[in-house]
Amino acid sequence: MPPRRQDDIMDVDSDESDASLDYDEPRRKGKGKAPKKKDKRKSKVTEVPYAWEASYVRSWDTVQEDESGSLQTAVDDLIARGRRKRLFAPSKAIRRTIIRHLIIILDLSNSMMDRDMRPTRFDLSLEYTREFVNEWFDQNPLGQIGIVGMRAGVGERVGEMSGNPPDVLRAISERHKLEPTGDPSLQNAIEMAKSTMSHLPTHSSREILIIFGSLTTCDPGNIHETLESCIRDKIRISVVALAAEMKICRELCDKTGGQFGVAMNEGHFKDLLFELIPPPAQHSTSALTSRLASGAPANAPGSAGGDLMLMGFPTRLPDTSPPSLCVCHSEMRSQGFLCPRCSAKVCDIPTDCDVCGLMIVSSPHLARSYHHLFPVKAYRPVMTMEETANSSPTCHACAAMDTGADGISPLGRYRCTDCSNDFCTECDVFVHDVLHCCPGCER
Amino acid sequence: MDRSSHLSVILDLCPTQWLLSAQPSNPHPLSFDTFLSHLLVFLNSHIAYKHENSLAIFGALPGKSLLFYSSEEAGDPSTAEVVQPDPNSYRFFKTVDQSLVRRISREFDILGQPDTEEPCALVGALTKAICYINRLLHPAQSLSSPEDSANLPDPRILILSVSPDASNSYIPIMNSIFSAQKLKITIDVCKTFGPDSVFLQQAAYLTGGSYIYLEHREALLQYLVMSFLPTPSIRKIITVPTEDKTDFRAACFCHKHVVDVGYVCSVCLSIFCQPVPVCSTCRTKFPMKTLQRLNMTRASSLTGTGASQPSASRPTNGTPAKQVYTGLAANLR
Ligand SMILES: [Zn+2]
Ligand SMILES: [Zn+2]
Ligand SMILES: [Zn+2]
Ligand SMILES: [Zn+2]
Ligand SMILES: [Zn+2]
Ligand SMILES: [Zn+2]
Repeated sequence: MPPRRQDDIMDVDSDESDASLDYDEPRRKGKGKAPKKKDKRKSKVTEVPYAWEASYVRSWDTVQEDESGSLQTAVDDLIARGRRKRLFAPSKAIRRTIIRHLIIILDLSNSMMDRDMRPTRFDLSLEYTREFVNEWFDQNPLGQIGIVGMRAGVGERVGEMSGNPPDVLRAISERHKLEPTGDPSLQNAIEMAKSTMSHLPTHSSREILIIFGSLTTCDPGNIHETLESCIRDKIRISVVALAAEMKICRELCDKTGGQFGVAMNEGHFKDLLFELIPPPAQHSTSALTSRLASGAPANAPGSAGGDLMLMGFPTRLPDTSPPSLCVCHSEMRSQGFLCPRCSAKVCDIPTDCDVCGLMIVSSPHLARSYHHLFPVKAYRPVMTMEETANSSPTCHACAAMDTGADGISPLGRYRCTDCSNDFCTECDVFVHDVLHCCPGCER
Repeated sequence: MDRSSHLSVILDLCPTQWLLSAQPSNPHPLSFDTFLSHLLVFLNSHIAYKHENSLAIFGALPGKSLLFYSSEEAGDPSTAEVVQPDPNSYRFFKTVDQSLVRRISREFDILGQPDTEEPCALVGALTKAICYINRLLHPAQSLSSPEDSANLPDPRILILSVSPDASNSYIPIMNSIFSAQKLKITIDVCKTFGPDSVFLQQAAYLTGGSYIYLEHREALLQYLVMSFLPTPSIRKIITVPTEDKTDFRAACFCHKHVVDVGYVCSVCLSIFCQPVPVCSTCRTKFPMKTLQRLNMTRASSLTGTGASQPSASRPTNGTPAKQVYTGLAANLR
């Protein structure tokens, strides 16, 4: 019988706050509170016979009310924390591996039926995996995802590697086909994932994400050999554990440059998953390999990675255009995309043109990732009234009048260091998190 | 369905392009004065359409962009332009018309020499319009209440464009499009003069708006009212003309050419118009083998057919507008 999850929580807590020392007061407050809440919930579960009644309480765990009963301070804290992180982060563009290949390994063993996460670990994992896949493709347009399950001591292929989100989602849509049973085998599943990715070109990243709910693994051989081969193949393994920390899981992540986390509650589980969505910076692996090889300079990974690819940007025909034969299905259709090189009509992109072989992609797909390459520099908070003497009284972007103090700037003003225009709190957050383009500099 | 709607209009006020547009040698000359009078009628109809409708007007001028008018500013006596009351006109119409005309003429007066003209700041105007809508959609916490969220306006942006694409604005425009998608803003484009704009076509396509190339330009008001006055929610029911083709060409990072076939760095997805040994964005060195192969195919395609030369001279206009016009006529009947 594995130890109860509640017993591990204090451990997990200390572990986690070590890793995130730069977090400030409110977060720690929240953390301190988590175990207490757990107890409350536990007692609630025994009082309330219906599981769904208990689950509603949980979504408020992360937000705390202030003395006046308003959530505003909590929200302000969240925003201020995000901004502080940005101020300290390096503003230089870092290299990222954009063409990503990811295998998600789902634990489908008995332990996933545990109800410590609502409704069950299994159902929650499926739901979050679906959201994860959608968001992942949004940010990694040219990536591919495959899915492997760990069930009854073997690894089983649930979904083939695919770049098409609906295909991936279909693979995990049928719950009854994934019904958990038996024990998990980390080694078998990783070996299967590894073989699926063995043929991939050198310029793409290879990653494995394991959602692991058990505290045991039954492996046919030595898992450390599998780990060694993953390091050799430059496969990055990340684990999100739902039960507690296992030494082998931590080791898998540390040695391959992945991330390891133990989910404390539903919200934290989702955070851990979603942290893995942005393309990993490439220097982390190169630094790691150079540390292991001890010698090669960390900034010369170029020879290993990149390649130049020829791509075509098509013209889309609407469904009101006269029907013509497509080259992929040989059917009469109105809608389609014209290959820019040979003008053949294909039904779906991205694809390789069936006539001339050109890779046809939608250029907006590529452009979706450009904000990673050219991030907007952090704005400098304006601290004193003197600095505002000869600048406009309104926000340069949204024309709002002074918004008043917030967590960082007493005037609620942020100045772009390039164009010296002032922006309000709201716009500062919006420009850096969503727009990725300074309205003053126009780039 | 019956929600109020917010309209942000972006006026492209490039003086040179407007001068060319008014030239009598054009098949359908359109002067700025005529344009403005048509526009004012359209803006007034938007305000009259529903009492809660709000309006913001942004101008893209050479080298700068600014907010000409906004409903909330007009409602605040401390910032609003002084408008003489006129017993013969509705006060809101009068305010919009006067403050817009006054501010535009003020900006035109201080314009510099035409020979040193900078490109129009369309990106600035577009990003400002998006930030403005973002603030409308996320009002300060003190003001918002649960029932307010149902009354949030249905936002859209109408770009009246006359300038050709500025290819160095490719990435900012794409970033703006994706943020508009996130805020569920519809971007409509009315190309009043000049060649088709590839980037604005993509903007309209990706946000579910219409891109209309104005061919019969004396009928501007009719286009505006027929296609751009209905809110996006109503457009689901009635048929408004949308665009014909969408051109997915992109601008290369090296020379800012608009290309239909590009060389893409596998690490950062930067686009180049010719094979380069090192990616200028992420400093990745490309293998010699690939370069040789790409150079060979490039040479053969250049000498063989003369096709796939990166250029912006593909015939794209003409047919779309004609189809749109027949669509309009069908709507009229
Ligand atoms: Zn087909
Ligand atoms: Zn082709
Ligand atoms: Zn602002
Ligand atoms: Zn700036
Ligand atoms: Zn170029
Ligand atoms: Zn690159």
